[in-house]
Amino acid sequence: MKSYSQQSGEIGEFSDLPFWKKANSVDLAYVTYGLLVVTLVIASYLLGAFKLLPHDPQDIDLELMMAPPLTPKHVLGTDFMGRDMLSRLVVGIQAYFLPGLLAIFIALFLGTILGVLAGYRGGKFDTVITYLTNLIDSFPRLVLILLVIAAFKPDIYVIMLVVGITNVPAVASLVKGKILFLKQKNFIEADIALGLPTGTIILKHILWHNCRSILIIQATLGMAEAILMETSLSYLGFGVQEPTPSWGNMVLAGSNYFMKGQFWPSTAPALAILFTILGFHLLGDGLNNILEGKRDK
Amino acid sequence: MMAEPLLAIEDLRTYFYSRSKRAFIRSVDGVSLAVAKGETLGIVGESGSGKSITAMSVMGLVSAGPGVISGRIGFRSDRVERQLLEGLDTCVALRREGGRVMAVEKDDDRWAGQVEKNMTGIRGREISMIFQNPKQSLNPFETVGRQITEAIMLHTSHKIEQEAKEKAIEWLDRVKIDSPRLRFDNHPFGLSGGMCQRAMIAMALSCEPHLLIADEPTTGLDATIQSKIVDLLAELKSELGITTMLISHDIGIIGRLSDTVAVMYGGTVVESGPAKDVLSCSPEGKHPYTAALLASIPSSDAVREKGHLQAIEGDVLDTINIPAGCRFYGRCSRVTDKIREKCDKQEPDLREIASGRRVRCWLYFE
Repeated sequence: MKSYSQQSGEIGEFSDLPFWKKANSVDLAYVTYGLLVVTLVIASYLLGAFKLLPHDPQDIDLELMMAPPLTPKHVLGTDFMGRDMLSRLVVGIQAYFLPGLLAIFIALFLGTILGVLAGYRGGKFDTVITYLTNLIDSFPRLVLILLVIAAFKPDIYVIMLVVGITNVPAVASLVKGKILFLKQKNFIEADIALGLPTGTIILKHILWHNCRSILIIQATLGMAEAILMETSLSYLGFGVQEPTPSWGNMVLAGSNYFMKGQFWPSTAPALAILFTILGFHLLGDGLNNILEGKRDK
Repeated sequence: MMAEPLLAIEDLRTYFYSRSKRAFIRSVDGVSLAVAKGETLGIVGESGSGKSITAMSVMGLVSAGPGVISGRIGFRSDRVERQLLEGLDTCVALRREGGRVMAVEKDDDRWAGQVEKNMTGIRGREISMIFQNPKQSLNPFETVGRQITEAIMLHTSHKIEQEAKEKAIEWLDRVKIDSPRLRFDNHPFGLSGGMCQRAMIAMALSCEPHLLIADEPTTGLDATIQSKIVDLLAELKSELGITTMLISHDIGIIGRLSDTVAVMYGGTVVESGPAKDVLSCSPEGKHPYTAALLASIPSSDAVREKGHLQAIEGDVLDTINIPAGCRFYGRCSRVTDKIREKCDKQEPDLREIASGRRVRCWLYFE
């Protein structure tokens, strides 16, 4: 008797397997790599924050300028002022980590609120929010950021504020679309008929159960975008200013020596940017496929 | 003679405004119904006759843009007494031009607030509802058991999660889901349609409401499951004595479960009375529509004799252009020369022709 009930339980719960057992191995590899990158980013941030570095990133050593990689004490070599590349690379993440989180938080927080208002309440809210998001969307982002920099100062937090706000429309329309889709199913109506408070329906039944995966994915993509945006600005000279290292201004500083065969000062941060952004994108992509079950269909 | 009604609907009119046609779609047009305590009222009619909209009006679920409601819905149990449509008419303004309604201005926010105010403490606790399409009525990302537990904790005195969980399992057992403890942790997609409907019934009844509205509870399920769900409803009815408003286009189900029956056509009730009289075979004292509806129930004998299925001629009433006369006049096969004029020009009212039986037809009036 017991074995029978266990057996039927197993059959019934097949579809309730934890997601990592059902997932495609490619997606798992994506997510594993992505999580590795996230771990490295967090670790670098902590190392930088607690100053656990082989060298002071600002320490100028005029005897050892442009030392190639694998020089004793300088694994990745030094730059044109003899500063340790590895230390600067690790500290460089400081420029992205908190500002990137700020951008993500703004985009998700405002985007979700606007999306819920537009999707759940509809009517006038929907009209106003659609106009608002179209307005933000119609501005070229880089131009907007340059304008803001010109008006205030090239502060990374100001830049990320703008990046976050310009990401709001994307999140809002995703959430709104999801809610409109869910409204066609009856369960929200059934929840209302059951007398659940509106807050519970929105927070628990809509956002937590049905929107969390798209929000997680948006967060990972948002981080990648924040890094890329800072990098482009730094390369143009508008981002984080010397001597504070960021990957963008390290590429810029190193680019003068690239053609002379001294490739490491620009290549190392460029590769760091490449693999980090790749990691965030693959993480988002893999999570999307696993959580939303895209590959099966 | 009739006991105090639990739910009394008087002259309910639920209209939807069509902007492109500049006219109202009169989905429910003057429905009066009463459900007495402990009784099961069956509402039967074709698709589009306004059955579901009536139920949704009672639950305050008519919000979609241009929906307008008038009339009175009184609810009265030993815990609450409430007018469910109170104050809604003040949220709507009609703009007329040359006798035509050119626009409906509705203050959606105030409307939503008023509905919320009217329905607090009613939804779930006093009136609960089961829908057709059970699989879509459960949240796909939450286990069935936790959804029921949530409802129990919200509406009954079982506020401790463990206690509510036990109660939920008890209810799952009561609606005859086997191994309820295992099913408790299943998501809706892990259950069949019939099991989902059982879970919905468990969820609706677990809050111990006074009135259960079952809106086509068996539509979308296959025939064997249908009969099992009907058996279950019949059993729960005799066990709990819960007042039920049962909506279906399946006359068999209505006949099985109802004490009284209301037949709806084109947004109005054309006949109501005790189930056995309204659904009996003889056409005597019946509205022609009811008679035609009963005649169109497929039976093997009828098919063998005639070689085809009996249907009611014509189409369902266009609820935008409602005729001045009887709504069924265009499809009626029992019009006599004596009353033809009246049928065409003047709408009959719902009159009592025998004790408890009301019919809306000129045939039975002087």
